[in-house]
Amino acid sequence: MAALPRRIIKETQRLMQEPVPGISAIPDESNARYFHVIVTGPEDSPFEGGLFKLELFLPEDYPMSAPKVRFITKIYHPNIDRLGRICLDILKDKWSPALQIRTVLLSIQALLSAPNPDDPLANDVAELWKVNESEAIRNAKEWTRRYAMDT
Amino acid sequence: MDGQAKQGSQGGESDMECSDTECFDDYDYYNNDDNEIEQIDPKKTDIEYFSCESLNEEQVERLLNETVELLSNNLQITPSSAKVLLHSHEWDVPAIVRNYKENVSNIRIRTNSAIVPQSQICFRYITCSVCVTTQNSDKFFSLSCSHSFCKDCWMTHFEVQINQGISTGISCMARDCGVLAPEDFVLKHLARTNLREKYQQFTFQDYVKSHPCLRFCPGPNCSIVIYSKEIKAKKAFCSYCKTSFCFKCGIDYHAPTECIIIKKWLTKCADDSETANYISAHTKDCPKCNICIEKNGGCNHMQCYSCKHDFCWMCMGDWKTHGSEYYECSRYRENPNVAYESAHAQAREALKKYLHYYERWENHSKSLKLEEQTLTKLKTRINQKVMSGLGTWIDWQYLFTAAELLAKCRYTLQYTYPYAYYMDPGPRKELFEYQQAQLEAEIENLSWKVERAETTDRGDLENQMDIAEKRRTTLLKDFLDV
Repeated sequence: MAALPRRIIKETQRLMQEPVPGISAIPDESNARYFHVIVTGPEDSPFEGGLFKLELFLPEDYPMSAPKVRFITKIYHPNIDRLGRICLDILKDKWSPALQIRTVLLSIQALLSAPNPDDPLANDVAELWKVNESEAIRNAKEWTRRYAMDT
Repeated sequence: MDGQAKQGSQGGESDMECSDTECFDDYDYYNNDDNEIEQIDPKKTDIEYFSCESLNEEQVERLLNETVELLSNNLQITPSSAKVLLHSHEWDVPAIVRNYKENVSNIRIRTNSAIVPQSQICFRYITCSVCVTTQNSDKFFSLSCSHSFCKDCWMTHFEVQINQGISTGISCMARDCGVLAPEDFVLKHLARTNLREKYQQFTFQDYVKSHPCLRFCPGPNCSIVIYSKEIKAKKAFCSYCKTSFCFKCGIDYHAPTECIIIKKWLTKCADDSETANYISAHTKDCPKCNICIEKNGGCNHMQCYSCKHDFCWMCMGDWKTHGSEYYECSRYRENPNVAYESAHAQAREALKKYLHYYERWENHSKSLKLEEQTLTKLKTRINQKVMSGLGTWIDWQYLFTAAELLAKCRYTLQYTYPYAYYMDPGPRKELFEYQQAQLEAEIENLSWKVERAETTDRGDLENQMDIAEKRRTTLLKDFLDV
């Protein structure tokens, strides 16, 4: 494997030295391109109080290609499907090499605060979010309690 | 085709007439005006007339470059920037020029690629925000947006994008910056020849696809581009691979049906494949003697080989009732009481209606294929005749003309069924189905005569060809809306 690009080293250093509040991203011991991520559920959202595990992988041509990110913890959200895949424009066609791991994770946290049922990935969740928002929020809280709060 | 047939029939005329026309040719030099009135303009007489050109890659490049040059001269911008503008504005030079004059700064920002913004020249070393390495400022480049990145990052950015199939859509690396990278900027940073070639191939495809007057020929492995000034749902024809298609929507030509309707119909047929399977049984029993009959020709006027009963393959009715001018079985009879019946009955009625049109659509498509076989059989028969001294090859050419005309007519007939299916009931539909029935009747007559070419008198056959083509053009004149 080729040497780790300076860009990845710099980003990792900064993530460790000045971590983003509510987000932790730690590189895997055996693979510096693979990060173990934990995002705390934002305040005033149905995910409040939950700790959500994600995995983040920097592909060979990062930062020219977007990192691959996936939720490991089950989550009830219209833009995240059962496999944890995330529908977020900056992870796809709106990716820019100027974006960083930090900005990506902040965008994911923002997505938890502001679900977008008009651009759904999980169809049944999005449908309920549109027709009966209060029930959808109840479900999201229930899932957060059941899967994202380790006792 | 017509011309050929006529020439053949005039073959025996005297030499005197030929010299007469030669005299006329001389005369024309002095009396050009008169002659122009006499000339028949195909644009006016033939409703399906469509002029298009088959261009190879070089010719397309030339055509595009002429437009690029025109715009870059007009606005005093680089050809690469002109290409960016043309690609995003459907190659509409007047519209771009108008836009440009109204809002010069806007367009300039979106296209011009400045190299190294002035403000940064004073700093000797800059850190590239993408690779986080510090380098001399002469290694840095930016597009018109002034977002500056190092040369290596631009290169890898372009390589990754091109490998994903993106070419004209490559934009600046900065976040939320939509400024597109012009061709010269990209090519300047690409080192590998195979990627440069790939990039140029992709941009060429993008330019053709964005140009309203150009279409890639849909023929397999054909690299020809069809050019037409007129963007209409007409029959475009590739003179290299002989493929024809609708110039507007790119699928098989479909007159008299409109592009949207035919798309709807084809999706419906694909969705209802189960019912389609059910209908595609190839055999039917003779209505008189019940012997099993397989259809082996295109003609729908069937004659049972066993009991010689004449019947119609479509409706299984006696052929005699089909009369000479009223071909009843092409018309779908709606159940008048359907509005009062249950939803279940209505669904059944809807299916029945669809099946009626689908059966006919499918049947004519099969007939077309079967008639292709008739043509090959015809060729061998003619060969035999020529070998045994019965006329020359040229003498029998009219049979091919007849077969070609038959295919053309049946093709149009096939595409009248989706049209009729989506028509609202009323006098217009009645007129359409009346004309459709007439066309159908003449086509079956023609098919019958072509299959029995040796026993049919040539004059009789040519007469039948004329009638069928007249019916076809009448229908198109009244209902084809392009």
